[in-house]
Amino acid sequence: MTEKRKDATPTPKKGGGGPAPYKRSWKNLLINKRYQLRFTLFMVGLSTVLMVGLGIWVMRVANETTEVSMTSVRGTPCPKIPSIEAPTDETEPVPMKLPDPNEPAPAPAPAADPPEGEGSGAGSGSAEAERPRVKVQIDESSMTMMPQAPTVAPVPSDLGSKVVAHWTCELKLTARLEALERGRLRILLVLIGTGLLLVLGLAAYGIKMTHKVAGPLFKVGLYLGKMRSGRFDKVYNLRKGDQLVEFYEHFKHGHAGIVQMQKDDIARVKAVIAAAEQSGLGEHATIVELREMVTRKEKSLE
Amino acid sequence: MSDPTAATPVGPRAGAPTPRPKYKRHLSNYLLDKKLQLRYVLVVTILSGIIAGALGFMIYQQRRAASESIERDLAALTQKDTSQDQFQEQIANDLQSEDQALVYKMVGVGLGLVIILSLYLILMTHKVAGPLFKVAMYFERMADGRLGVVTPLRKGDMLVDFFTSFKDMHDAVRARAKDDVVAMDKAAETLRAAKNQGDYRGEGHDKLIEALEALEKHVADRKGKLTDFPPRAA
Repeated sequence: MTEKRKDATPTPKKGGGGPAPYKRSWKNLLINKRYQLRFTLFMVGLSTVLMVGLGIWVMRVANETTEVSMTSVRGTPCPKIPSIEAPTDETEPVPMKLPDPNEPAPAPAPAADPPEGEGSGAGSGSAEAERPRVKVQIDESSMTMMPQAPTVAPVPSDLGSKVVAHWTCELKLTARLEALERGRLRILLVLIGTGLLLVLGLAAYGIKMTHKVAGPLFKVGLYLGKMRSGRFDKVYNLRKGDQLVEFYEHFKHGHAGIVQMQKDDIARVKAVIAAAEQSGLGEHATIVELREMVTRKEKSLE
Repeated sequence: MSDPTAATPVGPRAGAPTPRPKYKRHLSNYLLDKKLQLRYVLVVTILSGIIAGALGFMIYQQRRAASESIERDLAALTQKDTSQDQFQEQIANDLQSEDQALVYKMVGVGLGLVIILSLYLILMTHKVAGPLFKVAMYFERMADGRLGVVTPLRKGDMLVDFFTSFKDMHDAVRARAKDDVVAMDKAAETLRAAKNQGDYRGEGHDKLIEALEALEKHVADRKGKLTDFPPRAA
């Protein structure tokens, strides 16, 4: 047992007002290192092993769950945005040719492609067929050829709401994926935080709990030291909350027994001294020795 | 309860031919100080139970969440195909039974942990409660004025420093008591021989004789209490 702590026995107040209550101090909590640390470290070590072992298991399962949930989220279909496409029969625009005075006047272009098999009109031939055809519009009032206006595909009326629904869904899925990832991280942080708090809390609690056992042992140890050097002075009570109350009662009985032994010795020897003095043997060397013994014993009880 | 003060066998001595039987630990003797031991055992066991229970619940919750996610996805995939209903049900049942098996496994491991831990902690705390019990018995003997020989602790006991401190005190008190007994015995003998040197007639003489007789009786009683404890029957 370490001797760092000061005397645990309460000091009597000046003026005889009874013992001042001993105040627990954090400095004095570790008074029996071997016993206290052994029990505290066992508690802390066991909790750490449990937390780490089960924590790894929790994280493994949490990772699996997150992966499964993420896969499920990724597979969730979102409403598609309807495609808007130009008509497929439109050919590439061809720049118009200026009329060549040396060439014969071109035949008027038809407004639309003639159906197949009907291409046997004037000017038709193999060379004619290979020429790219340009769609034009003729303004009949001025007989001017104008390039045909581009065809605009019709826009569905619910396009806006479908686009919004699509992107809302996509964003929701992304948010769910992020929430799952955050959930996994939260589990990890909660585990680490709880583990650290648990270890620190248990260490403090373990030391405090074992201190309630080590305290009375320390106190008894101090009295034992006094008894070894022949001092059997008053034994004070334990502090409130201390354990080993029964053990301390045993100690007090033992201490009282030794005190009673001393008192019995003193009584017997004093009776002999008194009788010897009456018999005229008061100055006998043995009586002197007995007087010294009585003095020593009385002093030990002070 | 067996006497733990007899932890170490004492060899045969004069007047004590029967050797003291070796002390054996009994299962029933492991809870020497129920309050002290059970308090620590309960704190550690309940704490471990809470940690294991909470984390076990988390594990189960995560597993169940994964299983339910799989079940939901499977249901979504096969909702238009009635021929897959049985397959879907079978998968769901398999997942559920796997989760159930996990719960049983965790409960079993948890109970095993609690039982093993409790037993180990009782053994561990017994190594503290044992020395305290032994010292308490010596204190009770001291209360009767009996100051026999203190036997050492059993192997593996804790609180060795405290016990050494107690033993030193006990040996010192015993040695001092022995010296006192010798001194008182010698004084009684000397005074008995010297009583005729003084005024031996009258009341003083009778009183001295009476006091010496009382002292001799006291010394004899004290001598009896200073001898080692009688050996116990095997």
